[in-house]
Amino acid sequence: MSATSTGLSAVAESRAGGEILIALEAADRRSATDSAAAIRARLSERFSGCNATVLVTTAGTDPALVDPADAPDVPPAAPTLAGAAIAGQPSVLRTVLEEADRRGARAAALLSAAHDESLDWLGHLFQPILEADFDFVSPSYRRNRFDGMLNTAIVYPLVRSLFGRRLRQPTGSEAAFSVTLARSLLAQPAWRRDPAYAGSPAWLVGSILAGACRACQAWLGRWPGGAGPAEDASHALARIVGPWFHEMERHAERWQRVEGSEPVPTFGQGAALDGERSDVDVAALEDGFRLGLRELESLWGLVLPPATLLALRRAAAAPAGKARVSDPVWARIVYDFAVAYSVRAVERQQLLRSMTPLYLGWVRGFVEDVRELDADGTEERVEALCGWFEREKRYGIARWRWPDNFNP
Amino acid sequence: MWQNTKRVFLDSVEHILNAAAQLLPSVLAMLVIFIFTLVLAIAVRSVVRRLCNKLALDRRLREWGVAPVSSDSWASPTKLLTRISFWTVLLLGLFLGLSVLDTPVASAIDLRILEYAPRLLVAFAMFAIAVGIARVVERNVLIGAVNMGMQSARLIALGARWLVVLLGAAIALDHAGVGASVVPLAFGILFGGIVFALALAVGLGAKDLVARSLQRRFPDAGSVEAPPEQEEPRGGIHHV
Repeated sequence: MSATSTGLSAVAESRAGGEILIALEAADRRSATDSAAAIRARLSERFSGCNATVLVTTAGTDPALVDPADAPDVPPAAPTLAGAAIAGQPSVLRTVLEEADRRGARAAALLSAAHDESLDWLGHLFQPILEADFDFVSPSYRRNRFDGMLNTAIVYPLVRSLFGRRLRQPTGSEAAFSVTLARSLLAQPAWRRDPAYAGSPAWLVGSILAGACRACQAWLGRWPGGAGPAEDASHALARIVGPWFHEMERHAERWQRVEGSEPVPTFGQGAALDGERSDVDVAALEDGFRLGLRELESLWGLVLPPATLLALRRAAAAPAGKARVSDPVWARIVYDFAVAYSVRAVERQQLLRSMTPLYLGWVRGFVEDVRELDADGTEERVEALCGWFEREKRYGIARWRWPDNFNP
Repeated sequence: MWQNTKRVFLDSVEHILNAAAQLLPSVLAMLVIFIFTLVLAIAVRSVVRRLCNKLALDRRLREWGVAPVSSDSWASPTKLLTRISFWTVLLLGLFLGLSVLDTPVASAIDLRILEYAPRLLVAFAMFAIAVGIARVVERNVLIGAVNMGMQSARLIALGARWLVVLLGAAIALDHAGVGASVVPLAFGILFGGIVFALALAVGLGAKDLVARSLQRRFPDAGSVEAPPEQEEPRGGIHHV
């Protein structure tokens, strides 16, 4: 993807003063100290008037921000921002927001790691807040085409069609925000009403997109997550998509009034990584879809209308190597599952995990489509999917308003 | 002769009237108990209905897959529970009322029934809960097995369901004191059979999956024969 780089060099540097607070995801003491020193040096070089404070987050029942020198010897196993909301533990985000508010920091960020040193990633992250009065910067990363597939298949198209803003990677666990936004987020009643959920990445991005604050995105280079073991699709679905369905409930009044979508200001140059070896086992994906239809059709009957079930049966009846869930059917399926999540047609974890074979069916078609494409071609393919999500939004709204009516 | 017959007849009538007069307070007490029980049963039914509605029991049980989704509200869990609670209180009141009559047969039957009823009720509740849990387990296992790509997912889910039902039935029967040692024995045989069938189903339906999983866990063990496929069954996709 060729992103628009918004140059702000003309903006007066005198505006870039004050404190920048950075909360680094918990790491071992040595790497935390090294990262903190490197970040401080780069920030003082990049924003000369600013005073940078780098702290390390500690996960657990009582998250806190500590000096890198006081970081634990061994880092915690779970990520702090994404993990906290799921485990029902107090949110690390809240600790960072409170610290930013207490210090009156002009900008604050929650980071999981240091990024590509060859890029001006700290500039991309803080420039919009310090020099262009943005309130929120959503980091995006260069990734392989088949990485972050849940974001490509569900989260990006869904969030884009719901809120009308083209935030390319809204699922990340990193974020940068202004102190104004920090105070506004701290004032939200969700901390009191739904403490286990408030502070999750979906909650943060949902609150921002549904509100009036100025949001943008910044490309920070290669994905820092590394190539760890691939998370099981069903667990990932329940963990990532569930909170976004929850956001749909929370902002139902807002998203039903949004039509179409518009780009958000983008900083840095983004694109998918080229040169990826395409070794995806499409037969396994197709088998997973067919098996799901055979065994879970009765359960899906509680969620999906007969027309969609018929389309799925037709897709599964295709010759071997040809079965796939088309984009319009997939968009409707996602809306149907969101409605079922809201009305609790099926227990929520069961519902989300039962979506896996359908997701595999769509991924199978996507992999086939982009196998021979380059990064730009892949992005065009994703655009086509997003178009279907936006076109089918009317269907989603109708199902949301009249969930019992399968043929709106 | 006539005088004699008349005397015997009057004696009998007097005897019956005396017996009736002696029984009358008990009958009245029984009627009072019946009326009280009826009022109590209606009150209990109302309380149970309100409690179920407050807990959204129908919705929750449908959501978990315990109760079938149907438009027939006559068969809803709330209706079922209110009916059961109503008739239980009414029947217990009936037996309590009969015990007031103080007749030897009625007293003996009532005593045994009243003594046995609580155990029977608890056993019934245990079995009903087990059936509910079995349905939840079945759906969870089915979804999990499908997501793991097991071809015999349905069979495994059914096996898991019947394991829970059997376990519940055995516990309920044991609690009710039915069958003595036959129940644990039969349960053991059936349980073992189902576990064996499940093991076969998993072994036959997902042998590749198990082999790959074992190979990942013990990479140095050369005895496990795995199919010549990649490490990651879904290919090189990172979902997150």
